[in-house]
Amino acid sequence: MQIEIFTILEKGIWFGFAALGFGVLFNVPQRTLLIIWLMGAAGGLTKLLLMALGTDIVISTFMGATLVGVLSVSAAHNKHAPPLVFSIPSVIPMVPGAFAYRMMLGLIKLSGATFTSEFYSQTLSETVSNGLKTLFILMALAVGVAVPMLVSRKETIKKIRQKQE
Amino acid sequence: MNGEHIKKIKGVEEMLLDVGTLLMSNGASTGRVRTTVNRIAGALGYEVELLITSRSLMLTVTEENGSDYTSSVRRTPPHAVNFRIVSGISRMSWRVIEDNLSVEQINIEITRLTSLPHYPRLLVLSLVALSGASFCRLFGGGWLEMLVTFMATFVGLFIRQEAIKHRFNPYMAIVFASFAASLISGLSVKMGIGSTSDHALATSVLFLIPGVPLINSLTDLIDGNTLNGIVRGVNGFIIAFAIALGLMFAMQLYGI
Repeated sequence: MQIEIFTILEKGIWFGFAALGFGVLFNVPQRTLLIIWLMGAAGGLTKLLLMALGTDIVISTFMGATLVGVLSVSAAHNKHAPPLVFSIPSVIPMVPGAFAYRMMLGLIKLSGATFTSEFYSQTLSETVSNGLKTLFILMALAVGVAVPMLVSRKETIKKIRQKQE
Repeated sequence: MNGEHIKKIKGVEEMLLDVGTLLMSNGASTGRVRTTVNRIAGALGYEVELLITSRSLMLTVTEENGSDYTSSVRRTPPHAVNFRIVSGISRMSWRVIEDNLSVEQINIEITRLTSLPHYPRLLVLSLVALSGASFCRLFGGGWLEMLVTFMATFVGLFIRQEAIKHRFNPYMAIVFASFAASLISGLSVKMGIGSTSDHALATSVLFLIPGVPLINSLTDLIDGNTLNGIVRGVNGFIIAFAIALGLMFAMQLYGI
């Protein structure tokens, strides 16, 4: 169990670097880079820990993305940058690249196979399964990140009104 | 209605069009464009009505205590994500309220923001390549596969930057980049380098994933900007298809 925790923590480091690379690609301000690294690691670790405890991958990803979304709102207040500057690079490491790749591979195989064969029905069910996982994980990511931003925006507008009155 | 007066409203309108199109083309969601433009206009004493689409912005500016108004449309430049500008404009919009910036001061700030430098090219290439290697590690690749992914991503992003510089269609630039990256990582699969080499192939194209269009699409859809959400979603889908196309070409070439 101890070794397993160590492997998960090591992955946190890589989640951080994956997020950082996208931050630089999107040209985020320098003062936000460290936060993006930390938030990428936090979101990824949440997902992995929940999955290690036996939660479904879609729910785990949703929880990880929601954590990133909530953190991005508070980071936005402290570092004076909109929430999406933090949240978009931080959730990209959770994108289901492996599932999308396997779905693509399956589609290529299907396009060349005879449809009555045993091989066809097995590949078809694998491809549909991988495709559905890709779709639902992507939706979980986007909704998890978007909801905290939309909830907090109402508060910001309230603050403006108070200031103007 | 005198000429001087109209000129003043026109000045405000030009500045608001700059702000709106800059935000939209650099990766802000529709809600943020509307909020920021309204915030700046309100602080200067104007009311503004907006029609925001993905590739053009239309607005009508009215004086808060007058009857003079003016409308105009501007084409939004092609989207290229740059969060430094989004963040800078958002910060400035608060300063308009708190420090009462004038239109001239706002224009100076916009010019300063748009001329801010990007990170050095070599740094971007290296860090994005490191990010590709991290993906490979996360999906269970070993050190050797990480090195392959690092090189593939580095070359792939370089190709994409060059293709954009030479004014290729943006989707074609993604096909080229995806093809180049999977050619390199596919070679390691073909030659059997490493024990789990298809992790390298799967993760070498991940630097191209349309994260900003897809997340902004969902944000817009949930926020009620349905049309813009659909436009962004379709754009993200075409990018995903372009990645798959490049990957497929390389895989067919190697017969994997």
